[in-house]
Amino acid sequence: MNDLFHEPLPNLILFLPLLAAVVITLFTQKNGHLSAVISVVAILGAFGAAIFLFCSRLESLSPRDFAAHWLTVDSKTLGESLRITFGFLLDRLSLLMMLIVTGVGSMIHIYSVGYMRGDRSFGRFFACLSFFTFSMLGIVFSDNFLQMFIFWELVGVSSYLLIGFWYERGAAADAAKKAFLTNRIGDFGFLIGIIFVWSMAGTLNFIDLRNHLTSNPVLLGGSATAIGLLIFCGAVGKSAQFPLHVWLPDAMEGPTPVSALIHAATMVAAGVYMLSRVFFLFNETSLTVIAWTGGFTAIMAALIAVQQDDIKRILAYSTLSQLGYMVMAVGLHEPPAGMFHLATHAFFKALLFLGAGSVIHALHHEQNIWKMGRLKDKMSITFWTFLIGTLALSGFPFLSGFYSKDSILAAAYRSNLPLFYLGVVVAFCTTFYMFRLIFVVFLGKSKSEASDHAHESPFIMTGPLLVLAVLALVGGVIGIEEFVIPKYHSIQFVKTWSERTMEPFSVASTYFGIGAFVVGLALSFALYAKAASDPLPRALPSLMSAMRNRFYFDELYAWLIAMTHEALAEVASLVDRWVISGMVVRGAHGATEFMGRALRLLQTGNLQTYSFLFAAGIALALYLMLLR
Amino acid sequence: MSPLTWIFIFPLLAAVGIVLIPRNYRFVIRCVALAATAISMLLSISMFASFMPGVPGFQFEQQRAWAGDLGISYHVGVDGLNIGLILMGATVAFAAVCVSSSIKTREKEFYILLLTMAGGILGAFASLDLFCFYFLHELALVPTFIMIGVWGKGERKNYATYQITLYLSLGALLALLGLIAVYLQLPAGHRTFDIPQIIEFYRTHRMAESAQRIIFPMLLFGFGILVSLWPFHTWAPLGYGSAPTGTAMIHAGVLKKFGLYGLIRLALPIMPDEAQRWAVTIMALSLGNIIYCGFVAMRQRNLNMLIGNSSVAHMGFAFLGIASLSLVGITGAAVVMVAHGFLAALTFALSGYLHEQTGTLEIDRMGGLLRRLPFIGAVTIMAMMAGCGLPGFAGFPGEVLSLFGSWGRSQVMTGVAVWGALVIGGVYMTRAIRNILHGEKEWPNILDATSLWRRLPFGLLLAGLLLFGCFPRLLTDGIKVSVEPIVGMAAGELHAVKGGHR
Repeated sequence: MNDLFHEPLPNLILFLPLLAAVVITLFTQKNGHLSAVISVVAILGAFGAAIFLFCSRLESLSPRDFAAHWLTVDSKTLGESLRITFGFLLDRLSLLMMLIVTGVGSMIHIYSVGYMRGDRSFGRFFACLSFFTFSMLGIVFSDNFLQMFIFWELVGVSSYLLIGFWYERGAAADAAKKAFLTNRIGDFGFLIGIIFVWSMAGTLNFIDLRNHLTSNPVLLGGSATAIGLLIFCGAVGKSAQFPLHVWLPDAMEGPTPVSALIHAATMVAAGVYMLSRVFFLFNETSLTVIAWTGGFTAIMAALIAVQQDDIKRILAYSTLSQLGYMVMAVGLHEPPAGMFHLATHAFFKALLFLGAGSVIHALHHEQNIWKMGRLKDKMSITFWTFLIGTLALSGFPFLSGFYSKDSILAAAYRSNLPLFYLGVVVAFCTTFYMFRLIFVVFLGKSKSEASDHAHESPFIMTGPLLVLAVLALVGGVIGIEEFVIPKYHSIQFVKTWSERTMEPFSVASTYFGIGAFVVGLALSFALYAKAASDPLPRALPSLMSAMRNRFYFDELYAWLIAMTHEALAEVASLVDRWVISGMVVRGAHGATEFMGRALRLLQTGNLQTYSFLFAAGIALALYLMLLR
Repeated sequence: MSPLTWIFIFPLLAAVGIVLIPRNYRFVIRCVALAATAISMLLSISMFASFMPGVPGFQFEQQRAWAGDLGISYHVGVDGLNIGLILMGATVAFAAVCVSSSIKTREKEFYILLLTMAGGILGAFASLDLFCFYFLHELALVPTFIMIGVWGKGERKNYATYQITLYLSLGALLALLGLIAVYLQLPAGHRTFDIPQIIEFYRTHRMAESAQRIIFPMLLFGFGILVSLWPFHTWAPLGYGSAPTGTAMIHAGVLKKFGLYGLIRLALPIMPDEAQRWAVTIMALSLGNIIYCGFVAMRQRNLNMLIGNSSVAHMGFAFLGIASLSLVGITGAAVVMVAHGFLAALTFALSGYLHEQTGTLEIDRMGGLLRRLPFIGAVTIMAMMAGCGLPGFAGFPGEVLSLFGSWGRSQVMTGVAVWGALVIGGVYMTRAIRNILHGEKEWPNILDATSLWRRLPFGLLLAGLLLFGCFPRLLTDGIKVSVEPIVGMAAGELHAVKGGHR
């Protein structure tokens, strides 16, 4: 372990956004444009430094860790040792993730300048955005569990602040609260897991933990499954997996660039990143649970997405579903596939959200897809980039999503057939609901006055769309998965572009994926190409209504919370008021009265009670002294 | 003279000085109070800066023989355990005087009492003599009751005064009896009120178990009542809810830590057998604070009652750390004490400001305040977040260390405490933000704290939270050195207990 400032670059990357956030908060918040410039310059600087760091690291990619002591409580004589560092762990995972966060983040920052223009709190928006970038990079660089947990909480709070950005709107304020608390439930397990790991292994440093586990595989003993599942809880909350998925769709109340950056591309992927980071900790049982949780989330969210009418909610459920894929990949022993899908998903889902933002911006904050239509001609850049994003998400051959999704499906095909078929159904649903969106929003007839008068967004918004579209196109063949694989398997290989491009076609699972795409597209075309309203609810009323109502999870949880926490709180409050405060204090009151009438006679004010007791105390003390 | 003496004597001298100032010289009175607490704060900062954390034993020590026959002396000194408390206490005292500008009646008496509170409690924390330790705390405690009675707010003011007086007097009395008993347990030749000497004596001569069995519960519950240990907590929310802002800040922030400090400094090292026996019980009671009072806080419709209950809940983490009897846990408890001091003072200052502006503390009648109060609103959000254990604020390292420490004693109870820390705390804090600051209610006639002067107290308290939150080693490096012998005394005896009883 080297000193924290051994290398200046990671420090620069991490602290530039923090500096921007602090400067904006303290000094420039009232000047919106200056704040925007500071924030954008900071993330571009961080991105530049990240590229530089990445290139300088390419020769020696073995993990490097340098850190400062943040909190050390240890004693040799007592045999206790808790050492928590603040450090940077640079390896393949963190380098890749760092590029995604700063790169995609840069695009979204630039886009925000156009999207948020004219907002009353322009400066505050960028302060929060920069603070988020700082926290997210903190998770990426963390070299130990507690540091990760610290930044984990900090991204939670920046997400809270950004979802509730328009806090005057009740829905936004409620959604922020819900997101924060749901995440806290996941963190509850995560923190217990962290404490558990420390108590068993005596360290929280990732590299040390891994070494301990390699030299002593039974280190965690019978607690291995419990620890694995507790740590997984953190990912369930942050990556919005079933059963803690309910917060993500509501989080769409935040500004659209926030949905793109935090609730699609980076923060929600932190769970997958964390699982990949501590993959060595999981045993078979916990991996099975992880895989099935991911798979179930994927199918459930995909089904719900089919019946949503809000453009951002469709994308939100799609995000849930894709996160399910990534988690499933980790559970299937293939973190590289999960990280690969994380990267490509960051490209095309950020693109889709920004495209949706462009549409919403053009239609003066209309989000219902049934009030859009015919936007292809009026917003051609938005349309074509959105289409690329959709094709990439649906797994159209040669686009980025095709390769990453195929990688996950191939892993399932090898080891878990039920999950493989489930994955194929999800792929079908994905194509179906995404093309439903395309047909209704961009093609078909115009369904409202707003969409008649829509205009293309300014270049500051379409520019980032174009950049992300290029990434969504080629992201599959630039070798992201190969870059990650050596972290988990000791094979080193270099592939050419053509090998990478054609490799999936040699596996049977790929054709299932392509089939799912074709069927989904055809069905979607048949139902929605000319539709003015959704035909499905009439065809399958009860199922569609369940899907439309998100399978009633929100209602179920509201009921559960009312039954447990609210009820307990009510009981505690009543006990406090009537039993402890009432009876006990009044009882003491009565006892005091009983013990000393004299006190009552003397008592003209409250102070006397006190002085009496004080005097009584001294008398008693003297009595004790004399007694001895 | 040790800077410690100046730190606590300045507020007391100022209190005496104000007695001599005619009551209509309001400005002068306030200036004297501000100057005295400011000097005491600056001295404490410079002392903290020159404190050497790695060195065992006391620093800035001063001892003068006083009532030699009884073994009472004037003895002050700091180690890692109380240096943070004194820094925090002096800062809170200054901030409390700053925000007391809203007091418009009987200012002279108010400032005399406030300064007595501040000086008294700082002196108690500085004292290494049992007599001064207890006496100075009493000196600080009595004004609390008077201030709630005279300057308090709300219709339950009288009941609150009655309850807090009754409870705290009982607690203080019980603690006094315990302390006297500790003194009497010393053999005649060794009788002294000097705390380091008492501890040193019991390091080599174990106190008889029969005596421990009586004295430890006396100290535990005596000190515990002073810290609002569940179920002796009901005085706290009600009392703070009715108290004037400055009083609530000093009492909840500083005075309340006296009991915890006494437990760690005195009760644990000299009565290890009983400490071990009571540990699980203390842990269970601490869950009463964390979970039960957390639930109660969820139901509150009055901002001060909510803050008061949450403050009681936070004390649970200090008890949890103490109950662990481990180095990590007790270090955590000591950090919680400092962190909570800043936090409690900050939240009561904020609620005082909001009350002043909106004229209400009923949460249902507030809402939408963030728009009109960008500064106060932002500070309130930060304080609420610090209150639910957000990293970056000092509470986090404290609570996390307590939890790490207590895991070894009981995994289930620690798990429950984590739920209280992350979820229940999160529920009432985010709810408060939602109902007070968010929303669209319009407030035409309220003012934000815009001048640097009005922002200063909030800024100082926030700075304390952030400083120790981001750099917890500033506290823990010193604390750990001081806690190590305390835990060593408790753990060393552990073997004897196990061996003896089997």
